[in-house]
Amino acid sequence: MDEVYRLNYQGLEDLELLAKIGDQDRDALSTLYDRYGRRVFALAVRILNDPVGSEEVTQDVFMSVWRRGATYTTKKGKFTTWLFSIAHNRTIDELRKRRRDRSRLNDNIEDHYDLKSGDISPADAAVAQSEYAKIRAAMEGLPEEQKNVVELSYFKGLTQTEIAEKTGQPLGTVKTRMRLALKKLRKALSAEMGAQV
Amino acid sequence: MTDSRDTTETNDGMDPRFENLAGYVLGALENDDERDFVEALIESDSEAHAEFTELAEAADLLAVAVPPVAPPVRLKSAIMDQIAREAAPMPIRSTVEVAPTPSSTPFWAAIIRSGFASSAVAAVLVIVVAGVLGYQNNQLGNEVDSLRAELNAESAVVANIQNELMATVSESETKVASMKTEMETMETEVGVTTEMVVHQEEMVSKLAIENAALQQAMAEQRWLNYVAMREEYQVTSWLASTQQTTSGSVIDASGLIAVRYVGNEAVFQAHGLAQPQPDFAYTLWLLGNGAPQPVASFEVSEIGSATVAFLLPAPFQFYSSVAVTQERVDRVGDDPTGITFLSADTN
Repeated sequence: MDEVYRLNYQGLEDLELLAKIGDQDRDALSTLYDRYGRRVFALAVRILNDPVGSEEVTQDVFMSVWRRGATYTTKKGKFTTWLFSIAHNRTIDELRKRRRDRSRLNDNIEDHYDLKSGDISPADAAVAQSEYAKIRAAMEGLPEEQKNVVELSYFKGLTQTEIAEKTGQPLGTVKTRMRLALKKLRKALSAEMGAQV
Repeated sequence: MTDSRDTTETNDGMDPRFENLAGYVLGALENDDERDFVEALIESDSEAHAEFTELAEAADLLAVAVPPVAPPVRLKSAIMDQIAREAAPMPIRSTVEVAPTPSSTPFWAAIIRSGFASSAVAAVLVIVVAGVLGYQNNQLGNEVDSLRAELNAESAVVANIQNELMATVSESETKVASMKTEMETMETEVGVTTEMVVHQEEMVSKLAIENAALQQAMAEQRWLNYVAMREEYQVTSWLASTQQTTSGSVIDASGLIAVRYVGNEAVFQAHGLAQPQPDFAYTLWLLGNGAPQPVASFEVSEIGSATVAFLLPAPFQFYSSVAVTQERVDRVGDDPTGITFLSADTN
């Protein structure tokens, strides 16, 4: 019975699950976690380089979805945009906090996890690998300066001003490069991947 | 290998208001104020919202670009446990009187097992549970409403600040325009004043010239007296002006007649006379000894001076007066008919 119930949830769209979360449906959140938990966790690990800290971040992200799911509207963009935005902001906050107090040392990620395999099924891994390869290719196609500002901001958590200081570029140039990089990335991938992420 | 020279890296076409949208989706803004501003912009401006959507979807791709990593199984359990704790109903005292049971069995299970559970008790139980769930839903709903209200209030504050800034800019522009107008007016006034100064300087210059001419004339008069005595002439008459200006003052013109001690030679000298009208000339008359006698017709210099030598028809003392009139050049008759400009008695 429980298995049938779960299978039915897996057939629901993100927004339908979100509506159920608004009704305090825990199975809906469980389904969303199964769908996106790996990506949220991976993003946190990529930025923090700390699996333990990434667990805390991932837990916070899905608790935010649980508490704020009812406030989501399509005005905030696609559901994945909203979710990854929460995940990224939470992770960057943690990264900046760590930079400030330097109280925690990053662990060696390889000591805890096998990042290549984990619990991901071979089919999921293949799909993910395919998407990853396309996006990495698109990233590699960006001019070096644009790729650099994206790396420093999105994955290293530097602010626009910090990037300008680090690279010696005017702040306006940094802003323009960020915008152009995102636009080129989207253009390069929209044809191959469609609107779905 | 990528070409680092990107010729499209200019800010062409980008609305300056949107300059922080990319930084927002990449999490690279400096502080909450910047983030609040961008969120208010996205909320209120459809173009900004469209730009944000495009950039945010690209940022999604960055998240997807990270190879998935399987989190530990315990993580999901931890999340679901926390949710369960938060979702646990608040303890509510039942209004149904239930006999206390010595065991730790939940009271509702005890009721069911006790055999006293009637349909009425079951109905009350359902109502209580429903009430608890309703209460929680209401609480969540209130929280959501509160968050929305806060968001709306913050958006309103941002909108107010924007309006105030626009009003300040508009006011400044009006002031600048007003100052420009004032400056232009002042420049015009300065121009008029400059013209007046130039005109006054011209007047002063003209008066100075006239004054110099007058002083020269007076000097000449004194000199003529001297010359008259040295040349055995005697000044016999000082002629004064008989004409008035339009303002009523006497025109400052004068003249003299000097007669030689021996013989009938005489000299007439005048100052301050205006140029005669066209076809007219000044005429010197000797009067009071029979018919008026025109003894000289003369012109004046640029400064109104004239010196004329003439012969007396009779001894000067025979005449009672002298006069200078303007007569037509072609009609100098026996009697003066024109306007008298200078005159004097000979006594």
